This record gives sequence, C-alpha cells and structure tokens, in this order.
Amino acid sequence: MSDNNLVLEASGLHKSFKDLHAVKGVSFHIATGETYGLLGPNGAGKTTTISMVTGLLERDGGEVVVDGREISTTSTEAKRAIGYVPQDIAIYPDLTARENLSFFGRLYGMSAKPLRGRVDEVLDIIGLSDRADDRSEEFSGGMKRRLNIGIGLLHGPRLLMLDEPTVGVDPQSRNAILESVERLSVEGMAVLYTTHYMEEAERLCDRVGIIDEGEIKAEGTRAELVSMVGQRDKVRLSATGHLDAAVEAVRAIPGVHDASTREDGIDLLVDGADRALPSILQAVAAAETSVSSVAVDEPNLEAVFLHLTGKALRD
Amino acid sequence: MKKVLAIGWVNIVRFMRERANLFFVFAFPLLLILLLGAMYGGGFDTKVGVLVEGPGGPLADRLVAAVEDLDETTVVAYDSEPSLIDAVQRGRADGGLVIPSGYDAALVEGGRAEVTFIGRPADQTAQLLQVSVSEVLAAELAPVRAARFAEVETGDSFDALLARARVVVPQSERVSVSYREAGEPIFEGIEELGAFDLGASQQLVLFMFLTSLAGSAALIQSRRLGVTRRMLSTPSSTLVIVGGEATGRFAVAIIQGVYIMVGTLLIFGVNWGSPLGAIAVLIMFSLVGAGAAMLMGALFHNDQQAGGLGVLIALGLGALGGSMVPIEIFPDNIQTVAKFTPHSWAIDAFAELVRRDGSIVDILPQLGVLAAFAAVMLLLATWRLQRVLTR
Ligand SMILES: Nc1ncnc2c1ncn2[C@@H]1O[C@H](COP(=O)(O)OP(=O)(O)O)[C@@H](O)[C@H]1O
Ligand SMILES: [Mg+2]
Repeated sequence: MSDNNLVLEASGLHKSFKDLHAVKGVSFHIATGETYGLLGPNGAGKTTTISMVTGLLERDGGEVVVDGREISTTSTEAKRAIGYVPQDIAIYPDLTARENLSFFGRLYGMSAKPLRGRVDEVLDIIGLSDRADDRSEEFSGGMKRRLNIGIGLLHGPRLLMLDEPTVGVDPQSRNAILESVERLSVEGMAVLYTTHYMEEAERLCDRVGIIDEGEIKAEGTRAELVSMVGQRDKVRLSATGHLDAAVEAVRAIPGVHDASTREDGIDLLVDGADRALPSILQAVAAAETSVSSVAVDEPNLEAVFLHLTGKALRD
Repeated sequence: MKKVLAIGWVNIVRFMRERANLFFVFAFPLLLILLLGAMYGGGFDTKVGVLVEGPGGPLADRLVAAVEDLDETTVVAYDSEPSLIDAVQRGRADGGLVIPSGYDAALVEGGRAEVTFIGRPADQTAQLLQVSVSEVLAAELAPVRAARFAEVETGDSFDALLARARVVVPQSERVSVSYREAGEPIFEGIEELGAFDLGASQQLVLFMFLTSLAGSAALIQSRRLGVTRRMLSTPSSTLVIVGGEATGRFAVAIIQGVYIMVGTLLIFGVNWGSPLGAIAVLIMFSLVGAGAAMLMGALFHNDQQAGGLGVLIALGLGALGGSMVPIEIFPDNIQTVAKFTPHSWAIDAFAELVRRDGSIVDILPQLGVLAAFAAVMLLLATWRLQRVLTR
C-alpha cells in the first residue's frame, strides 16, 4: 500500500450507537516504533475507536490496515500483529497470573515450549514474578492492571494498543506501567495509547491526537500542538527595584506580548521564552531592578485542550 | 484445534476449582445412581408375607414352599394377622397370604378352608402375585382331589394315594392357556419388561440436559469478565471460541453420563444395551447439551436468568421428549412435535439398544439426528456470539 513504515493506518472511522454518533470520521496513522496517544475526556470516543481498530467492533464506515492487512471483526490472521489491552480488566480471577498468561499465549498461537520462557519474561516485565502462582483474584488493583497489560505483550506484537491502562492504580504501579511502555517503544514496538491524563500523553507519546465528541480536533507533537493554538509561555520574575520602569523596558522586546507588575515582581506573556529571556533579564537589570528568581510556565496539552474545546480534560 | 482444546481445558480447570461443582458432578449423580438402581435395577424379589394360623401341617407347609418356589419371590413368615396387614400396608411385603388353621384337615377330610390374600388396592405387583398364588393353590389341590376320589373308590390309604397322585396328576394335565397378541401394544415393548430399563435412560437424558443447560453460566461469566471478547482480539475466530467453550461443557457432561451409566450397571445391573451403542448415544447427547449451553450462553447476559430459564426449558423439553412419561401415550400430533426434541431421539436410541437388543448400527439414524441438533445449535450460538461481541 502506501508507506510500508506504517504499522497502522485508520481512515474515516465512523460508529453510531442508535442515534448517538460516537465516532465521526477519525483518521490517524502510527509508524514503527512510534507511540501515538489519543487524549480526550471520558466519552470522547477513545474506546470506540480502539475497538474498531482491533477488529472487536463493527464499524459503520472507514478502513483499518495493520501491518499491511485489512482488519475487520472476522479477521483472525491479521490480528496476530496486534496486542490489545482492554480498558476493563479482562482476566480469569480464579486462575493464577501464570495460567492467565499461558492461556492467552496459546490463543496467540504460541507453542508450549517458547511460551513457557516468554511467560517468565513477561512476568518479569510486569513485576509479578514473585506472585506468578497466586490466583489473580488475590491481587491489588494495580497488579491486576499489570497482568492485564502483560497478556497484550506476550506474543511481541508489532502494534500494542493500550486503552487507559492506568485508570484506578496507585502511583507506584502507574509509574511502573509508564516505564514499561517507554521501554517497549524504545525496542521498536508501535504503541497506541489512549488516556485522559495530560501528563501521560506528554510523557509517553511522540504524537498526540486530541479527541473530543468523536472527532480528532488536532494532531501533532506536543510542540506542534502548543504552537498550533498560539499558546504563550508565562514568565514570572520575582524582583525588587523600579518595577514600572522595568515593565516599560521589556514591552519593547520582540516576542513579549504583555507585561505587568505585581507586588513582588513582574508577569510576562512571551512567545518562545527560551529565546527572549536573556534580553528580558538585560532590560530589567538596566532599569535598576534586581531579579531573585525566574519561573517559566510553558503551556501544556491541558491548555491546548481547553483552547480547542472550551472545556477542561477532567471535570 | 489446539486453541479449541486450550479453551476447553481452561474451562474444565476453572470448573473443577469450584468446590460446589465437584459435588454437582460426582456426589449428586450418586443420588441418581441410587434412585435408578432402586427403580430399575434387577435383584429385588417380590416379598410375600405368610401367616400360618394354628399348628399348621404338612399340606400348609407344601403350599408355603410352592409359593417360595415362584420366580423372584421370597416368603417372610408372620405370626399374627395385624403384623402381616401392617407389613403390607407399609410396603414391607408386596402381598400377604393367610393359611387358616383348618387347612390341612379340610383338604384331607373334605371341608371348607378359606385362604386369604392381602394386597394394597390398585397395586399391580399385588394383583400379579395373587394370580400366581391362585395358580400355585390350584396345582396343590388337583392331586388332593384325585387322591380323595381314589380313596372313596378303592378304600386305600389317603396318604399313599396322595403320594401317587402327585406323581401322576401333573403329567396328565396338559391343558395350558396360550397367549396371542392382537392390535398394537399400548406401551410399546412393555410385555418384554425391558420397559423398566427404559425408564433409566429417560431419567439419564433428563438429568444430563438439565446439568448441561446449567453450564451455560460458564460462558456468560466469561463474557461478563470481558475474557470472551478479549479472546476475539487474538487470532481466534468466534467458531473456535464457541468450540472451545463447548468442549469444556461436553467433557463435564460425558464424564457425568458415563459415571451414572457405569455406576448403575455395576452396582445394580441396570441394562443399558450394547456398550458401544450406549456410549455413542452418550457422546452425541453430550454434544447436544454442550450446543444448547452455548446457545443459552450467547443469548443471555445474566447467568441467574439463564440458569432459571434453563431449568424450565430442560424440564419442558424433557416432558415433551418422553423423559417423564412414555411418548407413546401422547396424541399423534404431540408425538410429531416431540420429534423436535433431542430427548426423544436419545430415548429412542436407548430403546433400540435395550428393548430390541440393537447394536450401534441400528441407531445410526438417531445418532445422526442428534449430531445435527448439536451442529445447528453450535452454529447458531457462534452467529449470535459474534453479533453480541462486535456490535
Ligand atoms: N455499546 C454502546 N452502546 C451505546 N453507547 C455507547 C456504547 N459504547 C460507547 N457508547 C457511547 O459512545 C460514546 C463514546 O464512548 P467511549 O468510546 O467509551 O468513550 P471513551 O473511551 O473516550 O471514554 C459515549 O457517549 C458512550 O456513552
Ligand atoms: Mg474508554
């Protein structure tokens, strides 16, 4: 087809549940080794989208190609390239961690011997080696989550899809999960990661699609998204001296959009704080004002989301 | 195929881990084995309570011995009429026989003696027993009459004449009643009285189908855990998934069926006909049960709902299919409808094996129909499950 560096191409996906148009023409693609995030609030259509991409949900329109093969609800062989981690934990509570992994390994078509070794590897990756032979119903929420993820990793898929894998876990488990996703990505696995946590998308994803009400509102790297919506850096100077004179002086510097005084310093809105900062500090010093600290607040995806949709990511 | 077995294996492992299930599979059928054994097993004699009033005598003793000689009949002696009547009322004896104190004297000297038979009302066993006892009595009386006639004619001793008459009379009486059939039997085959063994197969079929439908809960639980859907995200088709889950159900049903069959055969000698044929019916009917469990499991979202309805369906199909009363007593049109139940075909196959001494070849048509039932239900379940998982 097109670029054979692409692991996933989804185009024009549509899905309605009765009269609710849940996904309205979503398109995106993921390259080898790339981590792509779908960032959006609850009900945005993330799970619906990922379900169509994994061939678990009939779509009303659009096309999905994974590793060069068309995916539908009746494809089997094409699903070999996919590791899917559902949002809701899907494991047998009355089986042990090892039994759960072995069972799904068989369904991924792995034969007994390599599977045994691979199960040990995965148990190590998800940090459950010492609990391998305990029934999963005895696990904490975070451990269940990790086992849930482990099943998706077993067969070393080309494309790993994780649907909100950190919902409801303790900070430690969350960090462990994020770290293993980073490591897998370094090893060359393509990852589709959905979340409503801005920090996770910023930390993990090479590119992010911002999704709301069934549509991708904007897409790109973090920097692209931030600049796309024209968000500016906030610079806060703690300073003493002739603050009014200093404000007058910095306003003339290119890139500075606004400057105002407050009781113990100056607030500025700047395009590209890293470039403008030296000139700003010079101008302030020239106005006989001494600076004790500088804080730069770069805009984040939360701000981008707010700008695009007029609402907060989390309510 | 490996995947089918992997799913089936996990299904069985999970089933066995639930302690209640172990009771269900191994302990509960024991009850059925005992029940079937008691109802349909061989080796249970008819019990006749006998009361000899007064001092008794050699002729009274002969009568008791003759009753004891009847096939599958045991005599139990009682020493008072109330205790004999009580035994009959409570079913400890199938019938009671009272031989009056004047019995010997009446036969030797001529006179009246009234032998009384006691039975429960409308009890077929008692009625049959009474006929047998009357025949025994008639056979006892014939030489006595002959000897008395000779005594009057010749003046020889009664005892000597009676001894001779006992040798001669049975040889000379060659009149017997023969029996010819006319028309269709009311209950097919009942005169050969394998009919009782047939009852065991009816109950087995009813029980196996009931427990199979209860097994639909397994698929529903897997679905609710999200595991079934997750299986579909692996390179496994819905047919493989349904096939795997059905394999687990099939294994449980066949283990149960064989266990009950072998148990009743070994302990109570219940007749199941040709072993090969009987196992073939069990296999096919277990497949039907597994298919039905999958269909229920795909249709319902709530395992309690499915469980409750499963019991109703199993009882309903069982009744219609001849598991509760012989299908032969239904009106023709209902008998036709009954052909749409797998039960009627399984029972028919067992009837062929047990009553007509059929072999596996004779029941190929029934096996084929059962296989078709299983295949259709598995395919319907697959189609339905694909829909509920992906929409
Ligand atoms: N099976 C379904 N039936 C009806 N509505 C659904 C179904 N699944 C999802 N929806 C609706 O579609 C919208 C998108 O849901 P979802 O994709 O789960 O969002 P997200 O994963 O982003 O939280 C929501 O409004 C949700 O209520
Ligand atoms: Mg979701």
